[in-house]
This record gives sequence, structure tokens and C-alpha cells, in this order.
Amino acid sequence: MNDGGLIWLAAVNLIIWTGLFFYLLSLERKIRQQEKDP
Amino acid sequence: MAEGQYGDAHPVAVAANRHSSQTVQPIGIRLDVKNALRWLLWLWICGVIWAALLVAPVSAGFAGLDGYSPQSSRIVYFHVPMAVASFFGFLAGAWWSAVYLWKRRPEADLASVAAIEVSLLFCVLATVTGAVWSRVQWGAYWNWDPRQTSIALAMVFYAAYLTLRGAIEDPETRARISSSYAVLGFIVAPFLYFIMPRMASFSLHPKPGGAEMEASIGLVVVAGIIGFTALFFWMQNLRCRALAIEERLEQEMLE
Repeated sequence: MNDGGLIWLAAVNLIIWTGLFFYLLSLERKIRQQEKDP
Repeated sequence: MAEGQYGDAHPVAVAANRHSSQTVQPIGIRLDVKNALRWLLWLWICGVIWAALLVAPVSAGFAGLDGYSPQSSRIVYFHVPMAVASFFGFLAGAWWSAVYLWKRRPEADLASVAAIEVSLLFCVLATVTGAVWSRVQWGAYWNWDPRQTSIALAMVFYAAYLTLRGAIEDPETRARISSSYAVLGFIVAPFLYFIMPRMASFSLHPKPGGAEMEASIGLVVVAGIIGFTALFFWMQNLRCRALAIEERLEQEMLE
């Protein structure tokens, strides 16, 4: 795998992890809302 | 200024009254420490990805079979941290189970099941990344290597825990029996992760300290372990709170 391939791989990884991060953030907001308004 | 120096209708008095009737709000950005830590975690993991794929060197000890790229060994930066985070998670699950058995606090039981569920997820991810790497390094996805066998046993042990929980309806009995099972994790997890693989005379996995690695490789692996463990505890916290909400809603429906 050349450097270009590794850059692509890093970019795809960053997108996946950022997506997971934002999903967890939205989950955090939803759970906090549920905890506040039973 | 003396009180009543100006009449109530005087602009200075009006302004002073308006000011005193309002709640004084501090000026500036309200710092949410937990949120700041989450963003820091995101930056940390991005840093680990960047270092793992673009900065850290490829170890000569992980060359790969003929025809495969030695770059595949970069999977170590994800495989090892996930396995270590799952180990910490199983230990945390055992700890919370012990707390439940000791103090009978239902939230400790929820924390325990959340830890074991998320750990199992990390364990599966470690196994899958390991299997992909195994195909590249050793020619097959599964070789019954001592470490592969022991992690498979760990998954069976904790899958049985979830099955056990699912089989008991009464919440208190479920919490008591499943906590008694999960507390065994204090012995089972270290045995399966560290002792059993070392008991075998032959392993395809490198012995601890046996692989020739540059210091920077170890540094990125440690950074990955810190990042994935923090991610684990965030996910465990979310799962635990979601379980508490589920339980509360079930209670409300029954009432």
C-alpha cells in the first residue's frame, strides 16, 4: 500500500470515528432530555 | 451616594432600581467540562488514527506473507487497544457486580451489565480485526492460536452471562444471580487474557516484549489504549443511563 492508499484509509477512518462520535453526542443529548423530562 | 438623594423618578434611581431587580449573569463562555472532555477524546482518537496510519513506522517483525503489504500490521494500533479496553471493561463489570452484591444498589447492577455489553462489543471488534490480520500474517482467519482460543472463550463466558440475565424475570433475583456470575470475571478475565495464552508452549502471537518494535510503535499503542478505554467508559455510561430509563419506563407501564 502506498502513501496515497494510507491517506485514503486515514480519511475513511476519520469519517467513521467522527460519525460515531456525533452519534454518541446525539445519544447523550437524548438521554439527558429523557432524564430531565420523565 | 446617599440613599434617597434623588427622587424615585430620577433617571439614576430608575436605572439603579432596574439593575437591582435583574439577576446578574456572569459574562463569558460557560465551560461544560464533560463536553470539553468529549471533544478532547475525539481529538485524541483522531490523533491516534493519524499517528497510526501516517506517522508510526511499520515494524519489521510484522512483514506479512508474500504478496501482502507489511502496512497491514498497522491494524495493531486498533486491535490491541480494543482488546485491552475490553479487558478493563470486563474487570469494571466484575467490580460493579461486587458492589451490587455488597451494597445491593440496583444502579451497580445496571453499571455492571452495561460494562459487560460494551466490553463484549469491543471484544468482538478486537477478534474481527485480529482475524483480518491473521489472514494476512498467517494465511487463515482462524488458527486456534492460544490467544484466539482464549478470547473466544471470554466471549462465550460473557455471552452466557447475558443469556443468564435474559432467562430470569424477577429483577432482584436476576441482579443477584447475574452479579454472582459476573464477579467471577475477576478471575476469569485475567486468566483468559494473560495466563492461559502464556501456558501454551507455542503461539503464533509474539510473546510480550518478544516482538521487535520501535519505541514509537509502543507509544501509539499506549495512546490508542487510553483513547479506546475512555471511549469505552463513555459508551458504558450512556448504556447504563439508557438501561435506567428503560427500567423506569417499564415500572411506569406496570403502575
